[in-house]
Amino acid sequence: MRSRGFGSFISAVVIAGVVLWSFVTTDVEMTRLAAAGPRIAEFLGRMFPPDPSVMDEIVRGSAETLRIAVIGTLGAILLSVPLGLLASGTMAPPAIHRPVRTVLAVIRAIPLILVAMLMVGAVGLGPLPGIIAVAFHATGMLAKFYAEAIDGVSPAPLAALESAGAGPLARLRHAIWPQMAPVVARDTIFRFELNLRESLILGIVGAGGIGFYIQTYVRSFQYDKAASATLAVVVMVVAIEAFNVILRRRFS
Amino acid sequence: MSVAAQIDDVSFAHSSVDAPALAHVSLSLPAGGIVALLGPSGAGKTTLLTLLDGRLRDWRGRVSVLGGSLDPDYPPPRALRPDTGFVFQEFALVERSTVLRNVFNGRLGRMSPLRAFLGSPTERDIQVARSALDDCGISDLADRRVDSLSGGQRQRVAIARCLAQEPRLILADEPVSNLDPTRAAEILTLLTEAARARGATVLFSSHQPELARRFAQRIVGMRDGRIAFDVPVSDLSEDAAADLYRDAAQMSGTGLKVVT
Ligand SMILES: Nc1ncnc2c1ncn2[C@@H]1O[C@H](COP(=O)(O)OP(=O)(O)OP(=O)(O)O)[C@@H](O)[C@H]1O
Ligand SMILES: [Mg+2]
Repeated sequence: MRSRGFGSFISAVVIAGVVLWSFVTTDVEMTRLAAAGPRIAEFLGRMFPPDPSVMDEIVRGSAETLRIAVIGTLGAILLSVPLGLLASGTMAPPAIHRPVRTVLAVIRAIPLILVAMLMVGAVGLGPLPGIIAVAFHATGMLAKFYAEAIDGVSPAPLAALESAGAGPLARLRHAIWPQMAPVVARDTIFRFELNLRESLILGIVGAGGIGFYIQTYVRSFQYDKAASATLAVVVMVVAIEAFNVILRRRFS
Repeated sequence: MSVAAQIDDVSFAHSSVDAPALAHVSLSLPAGGIVALLGPSGAGKTTLLTLLDGRLRDWRGRVSVLGGSLDPDYPPPRALRPDTGFVFQEFALVERSTVLRNVFNGRLGRMSPLRAFLGSPTERDIQVARSALDDCGISDLADRRVDSLSGGQRQRVAIARCLAQEPRLILADEPVSNLDPTRAAEILTLLTEAARARGATVLFSSHQPELARRFAQRIVGMRDGRIAFDVPVSDLSEDAAADLYRDAAQMSGTGLKVVT
């Protein structure tokens, strides 16, 4: 008890120290913060009304983001099926599934935007580095989910089909797959939603999509156009959510 | 063939467990007979039934089932497996599939591998599955998903799947332990009648001596992996059945499931 109390005291001191250090060493001029109010208001004012003349570019950018997310997700699925099998405790021995799981954890730890920057360096500007980055980054999570879906299958129905004399393929089709399918569908849809959200900003590093236009407008002080693009992003995110809710209902 | 299954001096221990689950067990099942297996939790009933189903590995002794001998190192050839049907203690149904799909699962061993994989039953498969559903009184549940059924209904589906297999030996592991007394008697009635109509042999395990007495011709008592008694129903004394449970309760403290 005593040592635990002491432990939390130490934690509190460390946290307080870190917060204090951040304030003291950061170059935040409180006077500027006070003067910022009118400037932010002016900035917001220049965003209105949003400029609809860039509709074409926005639609094109959004479509490209959607394509990056769709193809990137497909790539992640293709990678995740074999890696999920290798990462599952029921399908692969520890000598295989342990290292595979570690690799997946490392992949998950690398932020998408970082992978995208590296890929832009490797294959040049455009949607291709975005697609590769999304596929790579999403595999870290999706393969782990697939492995968990395989490991979550109840063995009892499998034993029942074995007892009835069903072969391995029939067991896979009629005992394993019906148990896995809803989990796989749910996880894949979930990951697709994340991919779409995350790929909205890929254009900022030159990896294609609507983010590229937003960045261009902001850099050239065309805030009304940036506002239109931002609205398009909001519409897309809401649409994805609605779509996701419908799909989830179907697969429950 | 007058003997459906024969076990000679079989011993078996689960890996990492010292106490044997089966210790020098010998037993013979007359073809067409109905035999009950009594014994407290952990007595080895499920292990014995699994052995006869050909799903146990690394046992010692000799076992023959329906005229063929079992190999302790290999599962029986797939062609022979449908001949032995198993009703699982916890049903072992595919929860998200329909009742009909689950009953068809019992036919998979009788279909060609391609048909089995595609899940496309023949006319005859459909006919056998329909009559299994009928005999179990669940024809009207055919299109319901299993996860929407009650325990008693699931038990019926589990039995229907087993019957759809057209087994000659039915091994039923506590087929009524989850049910109220009325439902339990109903289920055992339909199981034993369906077996009689099909000329199949039945070995069912139970914790309820009075049900064993009522539905079986012979009663085998098990305790600690051994056969404690093996007698015709008329020779079973109240005391012998009660002792089976009383001793175990004192020794292992696992308690009784049902003793009335
Ligand atoms: N998978 C397993 N691994 C290790 N030990 C097991 C396993 N299955 C069963 N046992 C042990 O084997 C012994 C016999 O178990 P078994 O399941 O055959 O008993 P049972 O008579 O069917 O009991 P119940 O009435 O509770 O179903 C028990 O001591 C049990 O703990
Ligand atoms: Mg049991």
